[in-house]
Amino acid sequence: MNEPVLVVNGLTVRRETHLAVQNVSFSLQPGTDTAIIGPNGAGKSTLIQAVLGILPRQSGKVIVLGHSLSPKGYLPTEVRQHIAYLPQNFLFDRRVPITVSELVGLGWDRVGLQLPWVGRRSRHHAVRQALTQVDGWHLREQLVSGLSGGETKRVLLAYCLVRPRSLLILDEAQAGLDALGGAEFYRLLYQLKQEQGWAILQISHDLDMVRCSCDRVLCMNRMLLCQGTPDHTLTTENLSLAYGSEFVRYRHSC
Amino acid sequence: MIQAEFTRVIELFQLPFMQRALMGGILTGLIGGLLGSFTILRQLSFFSDALGHSALLGISIGLLLGFNPSWVLLPFAVLFALGVTYFLERTHLWTDALLNIIYSSSLAVGIILLSFRDEYKGGISNLLFGDILAVQTADLIFSTVLLGVCAGFIGLTLRSQMLLTLHEPMAIARGVAVSAQRTAFIVLLSLVVGVSIKAIGVLLIGAFVVIPACAARLLSRKFTHYILISAGLGALSAIVGMILSALFDLPSGPSIVVVQLGIFLLALLISTVRALAPSTSPIKN
Repeated sequence: MNEPVLVVNGLTVRRETHLAVQNVSFSLQPGTDTAIIGPNGAGKSTLIQAVLGILPRQSGKVIVLGHSLSPKGYLPTEVRQHIAYLPQNFLFDRRVPITVSELVGLGWDRVGLQLPWVGRRSRHHAVRQALTQVDGWHLREQLVSGLSGGETKRVLLAYCLVRPRSLLILDEAQAGLDALGGAEFYRLLYQLKQEQGWAILQISHDLDMVRCSCDRVLCMNRMLLCQGTPDHTLTTENLSLAYGSEFVRYRHSC
Repeated sequence: MIQAEFTRVIELFQLPFMQRALMGGILTGLIGGLLGSFTILRQLSFFSDALGHSALLGISIGLLLGFNPSWVLLPFAVLFALGVTYFLERTHLWTDALLNIIYSSSLAVGIILLSFRDEYKGGISNLLFGDILAVQTADLIFSTVLLGVCAGFIGLTLRSQMLLTLHEPMAIARGVAVSAQRTAFIVLLSLVVGVSIKAIGVLLIGAFVVIPACAARLLSRKFTHYILISAGLGALSAIVGMILSALFDLPSGPSIVVVQLGIFLLALLISTVRALAPSTSPIKN
């Protein structure tokens, strides 16, 4: 078995007065696609934000590529370079002047001291490749603030793809894409994990898509309720445990 | 007649104090525009303004304790800025309201402290509006060093600064030390405000940080261009403002700010015309 890309052990996260994530443990292998499912308010986004060090954790361990995430959220820059994160809501101040190619270029650069003109050609080449992969090269000179929801998602995906990574974390990335865009999106994810061995961790509400395309499922509602292959986890009993019996009845009637 | 006026201005700029004033204006314009570009995007405009107003308190404390105000001002500005940032982060009230409390009260305390020093009662206008003609060589050296530090900081951490300005969670996920970067920026901003007070005064310093950056924002699409244009417009308005003030014998600091306003209005016009242009041109198939 390969060295896991991500190991989460006994992770507990407190948000204001309540425990949003309680004692969650799992690990990700390279070349696998894992979905986190659960109802709204189940702590899915909180979980991945704590894994990334965006939110502080109360207890537990997070190990990325063999490096432990410090309690203050520090990971060495080389490790960070191997992680890409696509947030659920890319809420940004639309008055910030930034073009699509500049945004994607930010995904390429190392964080740290660097002269601004260093690596211009390689960056340009990588940006071109990444934008072409998501069918967005024609958007390169556009302002990010002028993009539609679906275009923004594609551009953000290019930001993630612009450099080879080991771990891709997506928070409801396919939301906002139309049916065709969604299918393309999953095809691209499949390609990344199969050909380049990326480990993918994604939050998803599309249970049919999860069943078809993910290798593992983490079903949670503050606590981890079950984990395993989609066939094993997406059973009526497990879903009613996570979402309540009303939800399961609704799905069966569709 | 016009030629005679120009000759007079050229002669005026051969005087060392005018050359120092021009250099001081250009340096302040460059630094203000450079840091201002990030200041307005991070919504710290009012913070920089409040910092400028509060500098009067630093000056008056210096005078009261019998120190050279210039030496007290810089450490005061930095400590004050860090203290205010700490306070803002830990209080659940509106930032602009809190900044208003801070700047008006420190201005009030500053004026009361100054009233104990009789000789400064007349000099208060100099503190409020600055005196760019009184800029010394030592001030220029300090401003040049500060410009170097600011340009180095922004240049070397450009991508982190951009990411941080755009989306904080994404910046953290990439390993940007958000809190350290923020603190470094606040320290630089307070140093810039502190250094510029002498030339520009506590009331007008905010304009140097905000107006060229806003004009640059209206003129640019790319982030990198925006930063450079902002610094460039800061320097340009200082040059034009100084020439106009010499030509018409106007107060220098306010003249520069009025030129900044003129540039901003021009940028507004250009961006409005640009926005209208595609709809008036015939649609191509």
